[in-house]
Amino acid sequence: MMTLVYRGIALFILALVLRCMFREKDFWKQVTATMVIVPLVLRILLIK
Amino acid sequence: MAPLFEIRGSKSSAIFLLAAALTLSAWTGRNFLEMRKPDLVIPAEGFSGHMLSEWFPGITGTAVDTPVFIQDSGIPGANVLIMGGTHPNEPAASMTAVLFLERAAVTRGRLFVIPFANMSAFGHNSPQEASPQRIHFTLPDGSVRSFRYGSRATNPVHQWPNPDIYIHEASGQQLSGSEMANLNRAHPGVEDGPLTQRLAKGLLELILKEKIDLAFDLHEASPEYPVVNAIVAHERSMELAAMTTMELEFEGISMRLEPSPKNLRGLTHREWGDFTETMPILMETGNPSQGRLRGRTDEHLVLTGEDKFYAKASELGRLFIPYENDQPLDYRVARHTESIMVFFEMMTLLDTELVLAVENIPSFEEIMEKGMGEFLSPLN
Repeated sequence: MMTLVYRGIALFILALVLRCMFREKDFWKQVTATMVIVPLVLRILLIK
Repeated sequence: MAPLFEIRGSKSSAIFLLAAALTLSAWTGRNFLEMRKPDLVIPAEGFSGHMLSEWFPGITGTAVDTPVFIQDSGIPGANVLIMGGTHPNEPAASMTAVLFLERAAVTRGRLFVIPFANMSAFGHNSPQEASPQRIHFTLPDGSVRSFRYGSRATNPVHQWPNPDIYIHEASGQQLSGSEMANLNRAHPGVEDGPLTQRLAKGLLELILKEKIDLAFDLHEASPEYPVVNAIVAHERSMELAAMTTMELEFEGISMRLEPSPKNLRGLTHREWGDFTETMPILMETGNPSQGRLRGRTDEHLVLTGEDKFYAKASELGRLFIPYENDQPLDYRVARHTESIMVFFEMMTLLDTELVLAVENIPSFEEIMEKGMGEFLSPLN
């Protein structure tokens, strides 16, 4: 159960990061978001 | 600091970068998942393969269930367990167990080998350690075999979260929360506890049910840690360990002998001795790749132990092992292997009924001369 909640939180944060990334006008900040997305995806899939 | 050049972000660039992030996630994810595949081993003739869950069903189907190999000579003698891989970032331990698994011919007694005790911990690296994922050995036929270099702790994907304080159930001892994922703080185990504690319970059940007379838990330690190139023995195994230490010293292999502390709980040399009839032995060799003083951490360091910072520390007299610019894995495996063979000899001197006769194990000199790869079996 706790793992499901954890994955839900990670998914929520990923959605927020993606939202910011698509609204962002500075390319380099979009690159920063890209680097944040990778560990979030690995967490949600329980790979790392 | 301002960026080197301004680029305006847009939805197109976001889509491009999202695709890049997903590609990178897929690539790294595959890389991480590869580490969860068990290493292939080629047991010598006469070994039968089992899973630890046969002795303790509480770990059936979990990430910590691990292979147990048994070679029964059919002639009554001693029952001996050789276990490596309690801490998968201590490769001489698991490689020594693999060496026995792939070479041993048991002519009296029964030999149990567990090469990868904490299978979950083999499936990932410790964060912020920059450890290599694998180490490689070239065999005489030119083929290459690889083995994982894992973490000290059970994979948090399989067991989480750690508490702030880990309370060892059998004693009430309090340790740092991260120790909950450390197999060598989990003994004698908890039947319905977290995965690591259940794994420890499985090992205890095996020792009890198979009436193991002598049980090795092989390790490595940082060269700057005092308990290194050492045997740690429970009261019941102390006489045997003392005889072995003296014999090893006669052979020119320097060895410390440490009594198992009575107030440090959860370790094999304490709990196996207190909760079973076995004689538990923990052995340590010096592994620069897990030490705090090391510089660049890569496969070369794991295999050779060459590190300029350890060389400097040695010059300054800060190490507990003789260190002359290297500490090869071959040497560390040779130490463990020779020590185990001497233990077998001394065990019979102590009790003539306790005989484990094993042939085909290379000597210290052979391992040093030819290297570990020489004694591994080709995969095909």
